[in-house]
This record gives sequence, structure tokens and C-alpha cells, in this order.
Amino acid sequence: MRLNVTVNGRPRQADDVWPGESLLYVLRERLGLPGSKNACEQGECGSCTVYLDDVPVCSCLVAAGQAEGRQVRTVEGLAEGDRLDPVQQSFVDAGAVQCGFCTPGLVVAAHDLLRRTPRPSDEEIREALAGNLCRCTGYEKILDAVRTAADAS
Amino acid sequence: MTTSTKSTVTRTDGIGASPRRPDGTAKVRGEFAYSSDLWHEDMLWGATLRSPHPYARITGIDIARALALPGVYAVLTHADVPGVNRYGLEHADQPVLAEDVVRYRGEPVVVVAADHPETARRALERVEVGYEVLDPVTDAESAVAGQGAELHPGGNVVRHVPIRRGDPDAAAEVVVTGRYEVGMQDQAFLGPESGLAVPAEDGGVDLYVATQWLHVDQRQIVAALDLPEDKVRLTLGGVGGAFGGREDLSIQVHACLLALHTGRPVKMVYNREESFYGHVHRHPAVLYYEHGADRDGTLRYVRARIYLDGGAYASSTGAVVGNAATLGVGPYDVPNVSVDCWGAYTNNPPCGAMRGFGAVQAAFAYESQMDRLAAACGLDPVEVRIRNAMAQGTVMPTGQVVDSPAPVEELLRRVRAKPLPPEPSGEPDLRTLPGGVSNTTHGEGVVRGVGYAVGIKNICFSEGFDDYATVRVRLQVVGGEPAATVHTAACEVGQGLVTVLQQIVRSELGVERVTVEPSDTTIGSAGSTSASRQTYVTGGAVREACLRIRDALGALSPAELGDKVLDETVEWRHRPTEELHPETGQGNAHVQYGFAAHRAVVDVDTELGLVKVVALDCAQDVGKAINPQAVLGQIQGGSAQGLGLAVMEEIKTEGGVIRNPSFTDYLIPTVLDMPPMSIDVLELADPHAPYGLRGVGEPPTISSTPAVVAAIRAATGRALTRVPVRPEHITGT
Amino acid sequence: MIPFDYRRAGDAETAVAAVAGNPGAAFLGGGTNLVDHMKLGVAEPDLLVDVTRLPFDSVDPLPGGGLRIGAGVRNSDLAADERVRTRYPVLAEALLSGASGQLRNLATTGGNLLQRTRCGYFQDVTTPCNKRRPGEGCSAREGYHRYHAILGASPHCVAVHPSDLAVALTALDAVVRVRGPRDGHGERAIPAAELHRLPGEHPEWDTVLGHGDLITAVDLPPLPMAARSRYRKVRDRASYAFALVSVAAAVELTGDVIGDVRIALGGVAHKPWRATLAEAALRGRPPDRAEFRAAAEAELADAQPLRDNRFKVPMARNTIVSVLAGLTGEEPR
Repeated sequence: MRLNVTVNGRPRQADDVWPGESLLYVLRERLGLPGSKNACEQGECGSCTVYLDDVPVCSCLVAAGQAEGRQVRTVEGLAEGDRLDPVQQSFVDAGAVQCGFCTPGLVVAAHDLLRRTPRPSDEEIREALAGNLCRCTGYEKILDAVRTAADAS
Repeated sequence: MTTSTKSTVTRTDGIGASPRRPDGTAKVRGEFAYSSDLWHEDMLWGATLRSPHPYARITGIDIARALALPGVYAVLTHADVPGVNRYGLEHADQPVLAEDVVRYRGEPVVVVAADHPETARRALERVEVGYEVLDPVTDAESAVAGQGAELHPGGNVVRHVPIRRGDPDAAAEVVVTGRYEVGMQDQAFLGPESGLAVPAEDGGVDLYVATQWLHVDQRQIVAALDLPEDKVRLTLGGVGGAFGGREDLSIQVHACLLALHTGRPVKMVYNREESFYGHVHRHPAVLYYEHGADRDGTLRYVRARIYLDGGAYASSTGAVVGNAATLGVGPYDVPNVSVDCWGAYTNNPPCGAMRGFGAVQAAFAYESQMDRLAAACGLDPVEVRIRNAMAQGTVMPTGQVVDSPAPVEELLRRVRAKPLPPEPSGEPDLRTLPGGVSNTTHGEGVVRGVGYAVGIKNICFSEGFDDYATVRVRLQVVGGEPAATVHTAACEVGQGLVTVLQQIVRSELGVERVTVEPSDTTIGSAGSTSASRQTYVTGGAVREACLRIRDALGALSPAELGDKVLDETVEWRHRPTEELHPETGQGNAHVQYGFAAHRAVVDVDTELGLVKVVALDCAQDVGKAINPQAVLGQIQGGSAQGLGLAVMEEIKTEGGVIRNPSFTDYLIPTVLDMPPMSIDVLELADPHAPYGLRGVGEPPTISSTPAVVAAIRAATGRALTRVPVRPEHITGT
Repeated sequence: MIPFDYRRAGDAETAVAAVAGNPGAAFLGGGTNLVDHMKLGVAEPDLLVDVTRLPFDSVDPLPGGGLRIGAGVRNSDLAADERVRTRYPVLAEALLSGASGQLRNLATTGGNLLQRTRCGYFQDVTTPCNKRRPGEGCSAREGYHRYHAILGASPHCVAVHPSDLAVALTALDAVVRVRGPRDGHGERAIPAAELHRLPGEHPEWDTVLGHGDLITAVDLPPLPMAARSRYRKVRDRASYAFALVSVAAAVELTGDVIGDVRIALGGVAHKPWRATLAEAALRGRPPDRAEFRAAAEAELADAQPLRDNRFKVPMARNTIVSVLAGLTGEEPR
């Protein structure tokens, strides 16, 4: 089937999409946007988090057809040119990135949190990021990064 | 070797600083190319058919229906392996593709290549494999005792290491004994096993893969493919974490086989379930301990028997056994020691390297024993540890004299001196209570407990292994500016090695522009990214290369080089270690020891069995913090993995079959489970190590687990002899 | 996954007809359960009828004071609804205790109710499972069954229902509205407590719904006592984990005694378990821990735990006591 979807503000089209493909697969393998990650592909880790019509979801569980005609924003769509989003910048600065496989999902989840709650408490940050697993950092520097980003924006 | 460090340049981006990671920006933008992101024109997708049985004889394999499926380009069995159909880190005992017998559930039997991952999967469903199911061996202790089928020629003991020191019949006034169990932990790196194999015109293959050691992969691949080394070239793909789980092969030979067979690039990516079957895990262990001490708590002897379940193939079980045995009494000065450690073959999932590597299992047992000893002697748990703490000059159970700082006492004093978190008061935030936001506990029946632990880990490869790194450093003027490049085969797996290598070059050569080139096999081996060794060994090699370049520079500054290129390749090794004596376990087996101590504070809902770790404070000696931010990141991440083992992480097997191969059923800590940490980093230089540094990555994983469990014991009064501790262990039902 | 077709439904009637007319068809909601099961090979529909764009995406007041929750309302939106949070806190708490933010943003009300068990054998297509392939046998009964049922199980199945939402709805006497192939243009109403069934001889049927039955809405009755209600979930991790045991409860005090009470348990049975015995034992009794404990024990007297989940019996008891104590002011908050 043919899929029409707006990704990071650009209308995109994918042909010969098999209905069993997930939005994650379409993004990664058909649209050249591998930033959203495939750590579990079962909705258990948050590494594939993207905005779907402005709401963060696990793209691995969105059947491709369900994205038809909708707006998707991925981690690749957060920076403006060379200027990183404050969340991205603070992740780099705080040392919140180690292997980085969880990072795209966490960056989108943190970005969403700060849009809704510009000055989150630590508890609010933890609650908002509880759907994103990280195995390297122990989360401490991720919390630092979100606090810093909140202060910066 | 030049040893002066006085003339190194102090820079804000050199050693001791925390400059930004060179790969950080790409990673936050989603533009860093992990091995699962690779793409090639015309590429095919590989997939693996795995044994559904833990132990079975293969009676036949029929691939005809799979081959007939449109879009399928190759269906390969053991018959298609051109070289030796065996590989392995220590013993080549594992088939690339199973021949007559499968020894674990998940063992690869057939691989296919197709035009779409779904086509590949459907092809697997059309392969018919006949099995005659056999009785699996699933218990390590009875396997060591010789019960059950012999899974490999020579029996089911992969390795036995005895350690004998002092009087084997030593007696003591106070004796405490215990039997402890450690469940099977998973590395749970987030980036799945993956890679891309591209066939080359010369009949060879180029493999882009996430791994921990390119050259040991290459060695095994060329044997299986029957190709010369120069025909199998490996380049490191972006690695999404490792923690030991990428030391063994996964897709490497399979992808190369398929690429060579089809003449097309082949990509392979495991999904999470397959990942649980596709890599080794931490050895589950059963440990029997007896500690004898004077009434004042001074240790007289330790006797222990340790059984590690190695699963179906050896992997690195031998070395894990060596660690558990030699580090089996912990960081304590014990005059009389008798330890026996066995690694067994069973039909459970193969076990091998995971952060802490044998030291984790032993530490849970010996630290639990130290708490029992404290209770038996009426001593404070920290006091009994300090009374027996090893120090520089201590003779280890192996006879090795510790010849660099071993600040066990200071680490314990430091974590004890840290302020305790405030007792909960007033209206508590639900997220801070056991059970979290699920609204589970409101303070009734909640008891606080505090626990301590300290651990020891050998740094770098041990027991006589020729442990070295090859490094090439070039210095030239580019665009009017001095610039250095570093080339190694060392694997950046997320820990920040690329940053550390840049820092060393900046400090040694005084240049700002330092590029770390992609890691590949066009240069010699750098050894494995494991055993907390890369900063020590590859860092040491980079430093050595820089010192040679400085010698070549003479009086010139880098900017005055003109057209000259200074180019140094060095192969650097740490001081040699010795093999253990096969009967007494004596020998200078380790090059360096690392230490960390933790204090855990927990709130336990004793009615529901829920635990909230309120604080997990740590003190660790790192010799020299080359990158303080990265050091903290290692301590925080390592402590989190230890917390996970303490209270939630376990691969459950039943008759050899994994029952929870997903992140919904195998739980790792979320951000709600990890408390804030207060961390002291000590820098007591090891005179034998580059910059005095000490490996960082593993020690925090070791003491974190027993500290958390000790705190739960303190809160509940329960014995808790098994990790992970489950709610039912706390409520006692 | 086997090959399948995907169709987006324009209206409920066509959606129902499309599924009813094809035994291999299934409705697709948020996909958080079904898509996962298709990846695992547990579910193999040959046609997916996407119902997420049907007009069932609002929460509306009902005459008489209740609320009608559209089947397509996302879990996160429902949990955030001010009316739900203040009048039915147990419902908001149950929703927020489930999954993660990213999944709650996808998961729908109807889909949540129809999610299937997390039994490891059900999900492992290489093992026998009566729920997946009737007649094969139950691997969990003698296997790894720490998470499994202690109440209402049968020799054929010991699985538990995983939904938190369903437990809260059961306690609240909610009513599920269904449109099926035989309902013409009308709908039928099924009490939430009767939607799911015990496994009996047919564990392959999770609910009383037939093929092609589409949940269109869930009605909440105007239950004033629900303003004092709570959901508690005991699990192995602080978030993002299924329940070992959960309790949804609401209590109304009349003078010094319990006037009315609703209790439902999750994680203990093939369906959300309405604790009618405990409720009966408590009505008219003083709200103290001894009474709560006796009532919980009455409910659990017939529990038949398995080898590895005996702990669930006291855990369920203690959780009931703890929730009721909290609701009746026996503890802070």
C-alpha cells in the first residue's frame, strides 16, 4: 500500500508498504530516518518515541496504516539546523549520553514534558520519563539534563 | 618507556577535564549510525532459525520449501559453513550452525537471506527440522557431580579452580555459614545485536558490526569461513551498550556466510526476544560459604564452594571461574582460605561475560557472610569489614602481594560518613514510596533499613593473558593548525573511550584538534572493551605513542611541524600476570584491583513486600579520574545494574527455556527505581598504571547488589539469601 | 506475521460488518497489545479493521449524572479528564498505573479492556496453551506461574487478565456498550463485571463478546461513593510492570459503619475479580483493620494458589486491608 505521512513538517510518501510494517519500520527503513530506535519493538522501552499528531507514542506499535495522513515528528525534527533544541544540548552537556541508544526516545519524551510543564519537579521528571529505559547512565545525568534544559528554556 | 607525566599540558579539554563527547551531538540528533541503522543498496535481510528445544538430536533438516519462497535468496545450514563449524572465546566448542545436536533453546540451526525481514521470517517457518528431544541437564551443581548427559567430550566441568592458602583445617571461635543464590542476569543493552556484511570483489567480506573486540571476532570468523585474515575486514558499527554481552559472536559469521553466498550485502538485526537468546548472560550461581573468626570479628578462615552455571557452551566461563575463585573472599585479609569454584556445562542458555564477571556472584555471598559475622560477633557491619579490610601490602588468597593502594577502609568510612536521607515526614509524595506512583503504599508498615557492602574486581585481563593494545597516532599541521589523529581497533560501546583518548592526546601533545578514527581491523588488536581495561590499556598505548611523537618533535612545537607528519604505531601491554597453580591457585594472576563501597538506604513495605531504594551512595577509588563526568556516569550506571540484580532482574528458566524474554517480563530499573546518588571519587595513584589510573566500569556493579540486600535485611530481619529479592521473599509467603 | 490486509473503518456499521464477515478479521485500536501479539505470532488476523477514527473519542455526561466514555478515548486522555479524576479517582489511578505515557497515549478504552493475558506460555508459540490453541494443554499449571491466578482458574487455564482499567470499571459497576453483527443499528449493554469470563472449559474466550462485537463505549453510573475510591497495584517494579495483585475499592461510611463498599481485585483471576464476599462481610460493620482482614480472608478462603504464587493470597489480603484502611481514614491521606 501507499502511505502518505507528514514527517518533520515535510509531506512524505512510501510505496509498497506492507500493512504489517510499523511506523518505526517505515521511518527507519523506508524514509531514511533511523534516529528513532528499535531497542525492543514491543512498546517496552520508549526508544522509538515520536510525536504522532503532537502526542508522544511508541512508533513500534503503530501499524503503518494508522499513520496515514497524520503528522509525525521524530528526534531528527527537533533541532533547527545546527542549533540543537535545549533538551538535546543539555543531554550532551550533562553527560546524559553514553551509548545513546535510549537518547532519541528520551529526548522526545523530555521535550514533550517541558512543553507541557516548563518547570517540572524531580518527581514530575521521573514520572514523565518512566516509559524510557536506559541501561548505561543510571538516569542521574538524564535528570540533570532535563533540569538544565528547563532552566535554559 | 618514558614515564614522565610532569610535562603534560594542563588543558580544559585534556585529562582530568570533562569535555563533551565527540559523538554526543550526533547521538542527540538521532544521526549516529548504530549497527542496526546501516543500509546498503540492494541489501538483503538475514534471519536465524533457532532450536525450540534445550537439548535434542537433529534428525533432519529440510530447506526446500523455504528456498521456494519468492524473495528468498539463501537458506544455509551447517553444511554451508566452509571452514571449521566451531567457535568460542576460550574453547571452540560452539557450532556456527547446529549439526547433529542442539544444546540450548535458541541455538542457531539455519540462517536465511531474503528481500524483506518479513519474507525472511516466513522462510524460517517453512524450514522443517526434525528433532529427537533429549533430557536436558539444567542444574550446575549436579552437572559438576557428573549427573545427567555428558554435553561435551571430557564432561560437564568447564573449569575448576581451587584456591588454597594457609591452614586448611583452621578453626575459629565464631563460625557463620550460608548458602546463597544469584539469579541469571541479562546485560540488557538497548541496541540489539546487528550488523551489515558486504561481499567484496576480492572474494572476501566487509563486516560492520557492534561488538566489544573486533579482532577476536575476526579470528573466529576467518576460521569458520576458511578465509585468510585479510579477506575478512571488520569495522565497528555504532554500539548500543554492551556490558559483556557482545564479547561472544552473534550475527557475525551468519551475516558473512549469507553475504558471501548471495553476493549481496546482508543486514541482520535481532529483535528483543531473539536478543535474549542471542547473547550470553551472567552466570547464575550457588555459593556455599563458611567464615570463621575470633570473637572480635577478626577473620581466621574462609571456606567456599561456588557453582557457576555456564550453560550450553563455554564462552568465557573459564575466566569467570578464575575471578570468582581468586576474588572469592572479597577485599579482606584472610590468613586461611580454601575456595573451590566450578563452571559447568548445562542445557541452560550459555553464560559468559557481564560487568563484574564472576566478582558479582562472589560478592553477594561474602558480603552477606560479613553481615552474618557482624551479627554473630555483636559488631557493627562496617566495623567488622574495617577490622578485616585488606590494604596495600596485603597478601591475597592467591599469594599475590597487593602493590598499589587498596583503600577499602577509607571507602567504607566515607560511605558511612555521608549524611543519611531524611526520614519521611508529613505528606509523602507517592512517587517516593515503595510501589511508586501506582499508589501502593502510604507509609503504613514501611520500615527503613541501611546496608553496606564493599567489593573488589580485577582490572584488565588476568592469568598470564597477553593483554595489549595497538595504537597509531599521527601529528601534522592541517590548515595551519596542528592536528592529531588516533587510530585503534578499540571499541567504543558508550562508555566514552573516544573522549578519553582525545583527552590523552590533547594533554600529551598540546594540540586541540584530535580526531579518533573509526575502529577497524586495518590496525592491530586493541583487546576487548571489557574487564574495565580500555582506558588503562588503549589509553596507555595512546599515551606511549604520544610520548614517542614528543620525542620526535624534540624542541619543535606541534605548530612548527611544517609538512612533516609524525606517525607512531605502538603495541603497548601492561605488566605480565601469571597463571594460577592448578592445585593451589597460587600466582600473581591479576595486574590491578579496583574497589568500591556502597551504602544503601531502603524503605520496605513489609506488608506488601515492596522496596524503594531511597539512597545508594558510593565511594570508589579510580586512581586518576581521566574524565570525571564519565567516571560518575560509570558509577551511576554500574550501581543501577547492581540495584537491578538486587531487587528485580532475573532471566527465569524452566527446563532450560527462558520464560521472560522481553522488557515487560525481564525488568530493569526505570528512572523511578533509581535513587539519587552521592558519590566520592578517590584518586590514589597506582604507580604501575598510566597516569596512576584504575579501571572504573565494574567495581560499582559489584558492591551495589549486596548493599541493597543488606539494607532490606536490616529493615525486615529476613535472611534473604537469594537475588533478586522478590516481594514474596520479604513478606515470607 | 502472516500476510494480512488493513482497512480503515469509516463508521461502526461497516466496521462490524467487515469483521463479522471474516472469521480471520480483527478490530485494531491503539495496537499496543494486538500489534505486539502479531509480531510474536500469537495473533494472526488476515484483516485488520482500524476503528481508531470512528467517532467514539469523547467523554460525555449521561442523563442522571453518569459518564459515557467512548471506546476510542485514549487512556491518557481519560486519566486526565477532570470529571474522572474527581468523581472516579480509582479509574484515573488505575489508568496511570498501567504501561507508560507513550503507551497510554495510544491505548484506547475498548482495547485496554480486550487486551490479552501476559502469560508467558500464551506468548510463546512454541509451547502448548489452551488459550492460544484449545485442547493443547496448559503449560503454566506446572510451569512458571508466579504471575498466575489464585481464584477461579480451571484445569485448562490459570492465566490472569492484565488490565488495570477493567478492575476499576468492575468495582464501579460500569456498563460496557457493544455493537455486534446481530444488534442491527442498536447496541447492547454488558455489565463490566460480566464482560470477562472465567476460563472453564474454554479459556480461548476471554470475554462474552462474539466475533464482530465492537465495544463502542463504557458507561459509568453516577456513583457518588466513587469520589472516595482508590486503586493500588503491587508489582515488581515502581512503574511499567503488570500487577502481581491490585485492588480497586470505594467505600461509603454511614455513621460509624460501612454503608456501602465496592472491591475488585486484579492479577488474581482470568477476569477482574469482584470481591462480593468481602463486600457482603463489610456492609454494616465498623471500618477497622480486623474487619477488613476478616472480609479479605472470607473472599480469599477459596483461593487455590499454585506452587509459586502462594504469596499472592496474603499479598491480596494485605492490599485489600491497606486500601480500605486508607479509604476510611485509618492512615494518612
